[in-house]
Amino acid sequence: MLRALAEPQRRRILTLVRHGELAAGEIAEQFDITHQAVSQHLRVLRDAGLLRERRDGTRRLYAIRPEAIQSVREFLDELWPASLRRLKSVVEHDQRRAGEDRR
Amino acid sequence: MTDGTYTTSVRIDAAPGDVFPYLTDAALVVRWMGDWADLDPTPGGKLVIDINGVPIRGEYLVVEPPHRVVFSWGAAGSDTLAPGSTTVEIVLRPDGDGTLLELAHRDLPAEELPRHGVGWSHFLARLVSAGAGRDPGPDPWATA
Repeated sequence: MLRALAEPQRRRILTLVRHGELAAGEIAEQFDITHQAVSQHLRVLRDAGLLRERRDGTRRLYAIRPEAIQSVREFLDELWPASLRRLKSVVEHDQRRAGEDRR
Repeated sequence: MTDGTYTTSVRIDAAPGDVFPYLTDAALVVRWMGDWADLDPTPGGKLVIDINGVPIRGEYLVVEPPHRVVFSWGAAGSDTLAPGSTTVEIVLRPDGDGTLLELAHRDLPAEELPRHGVGWSHFLARLVSAGAGRDPGPDPWATA
């Protein structure tokens, strides 16, 4: 799922559909890249479980899956422990370097 | 999150005095959280951190080097985590040769929130936390 999110155009697609369902064509209109490339992005997002795809006649409609939107709790669970691990790593790295400089 | 508080901790092999600047100096903060920061670490001073385009806004409330810092926290434009609506307290306790850092994020909204629009900015923020050790670089779409 994070790989699906790592691409800025895919993140932009998610922001486009966050308030409601859009057809593939409507999404593609927002981009300068080919419709084919947009379709590829939509497929990745769908396969990652971030988008729900629905057929309406010949149109394919996309909406964000509620599961893709995190609760505040989940957000903090992602943010703080990972940030503090980075803090630990950065401080300890700097300390080691400072120690080496003193020698 | 029934009590509205989120807590976590980490042990760091450095004295509290060596850790504290990483909570107040913008150039040091961005090395572990966010990609841009503007900080005024005095009571009432601003705390501005952009985490992959998510504009975190707050104020320093308590600054007691090298043991304790408290700041308000929220995301500009967010209803669920409005700027200044929640509070983060970080306490640094000596632990042998190192420091035990304890973080408490308080006054959080209740878990039952409307799905619509909840945490959209948070959703993007997870990219940053997931990319530990990786610089995500500027995100041209983040502010679009």
